[in-house]
Amino acid sequence: MAGRGKLIAVIGDEDTCTGFLLGGIGELNKNRKPNFLVVEKDTSVTEIEETFKSFLARNDIGIILINQFIAEMIRHAIDAHVQSIPAVLEIPSKEHPYDASKDSILRRAKGMFSAEDFR
Amino acid sequence: MGGSELEDPRVKMDEKLLRFMDLLELLEKKRTTLNSLIEQGWFSITKARYSMGNKQVSALQYSSEMEPLVCVHTRALENGEVQFFTERNKKKSSTESSDELLSVEDIGPQEEGLRRRNKTKKETTEKKDTEGAKTDKGFEVNSARKRDQNPQQDPLKWFGILVPQPLKQAQSSFKQVIEFSAEIAALQSAVVSTRQELKLSLAKGLNSEDTLGNTVKEKCPTDELTVSEQKECSKITSS
Repeated sequence: MAGRGKLIAVIGDEDTCTGFLLGGIGELNKNRKPNFLVVEKDTSVTEIEETFKSFLARNDIGIILINQFIAEMIRHAIDAHVQSIPAVLEIPSKEHPYDASKDSILRRAKGMFSAEDFR
Repeated sequence: MGGSELEDPRVKMDEKLLRFMDLLELLEKKRTTLNSLIEQGWFSITKARYSMGNKQVSALQYSSEMEPLVCVHTRALENGEVQFFTERNKKKSSTESSDELLSVEDIGPQEEGLRRRNKTKKETTEKKDTEGAKTDKGFEVNSARKRDQNPQQDPLKWFGILVPQPLKQAQSSFKQVIEFSAEIAALQSAVVSTRQELKLSLAKGLNSEDTLGNTVKEKCPTDELTVSEQKECSKITSS
């Protein structure tokens, strides 16, 4: 565990980002891009996808937290990410509770068994 | 003898399957806790917004410069799993940093001793170097002071000097959420790698039983097999 630690990135609505920034994960200075994106009603899917891909491309981000309803908008990009680092965690939002059946990781694990196994 | 050769891979597969189930159960528990902590945090933010005003708790209050107070360390294991550990930076108190700055500052004349009018070139160049170093030091002190004024500031201060208790509760909830996020990330990695191992074991099991063929059917009644092995046997019999 030597060396500088990695950052935690957030893609979420205003309250989610505010909460995690209060927790102390935020990085923003003149030289580097921020490690968070506040998604509002007028934020385009393209911008969300580009931000997600930019977080994946950075080697200083260890975990990406994303509201599940935003993850649904870029599901193809999240399913395409199979590396362990950065880890992608889907979290609920105020208006959309967490649904385990939509989670990319659990869907991969769910494919392990089929209904025939339990006959 | 043939039976013991067959039992070992099956026992291993059973152990992996049990581990997989345990990981899924633990992941679900941690997720439930994480989600409830996040909801607590939102509720506290809403209460703080109600008391402070709509625009006082929003993205408008974010600082233009931020440094992370928490980071995550990763460690890859041999079996493909990745462990995640969070580390929170301990911030210095403002009084300590100001005391350190005072001790660094030079008070009084920079030059010691009497001034000499007749100076050699070497002395003048050395003196210029030391003066330059001292001015650099002064510059460093000033820039360090500026940095220390806003290096790793508590994010609560973005919202004012006296913040309501709900906002502090929200910060506490989200700090716990960050800790849980690292644990869940590690569990997710373990679930995915265990699933891969099981998949490979199943594929190996199918290949080995194809070569043994009828021997497996005679020695292993289906009632003693696990669910996955029954599936393999049914595939072999159908083929």
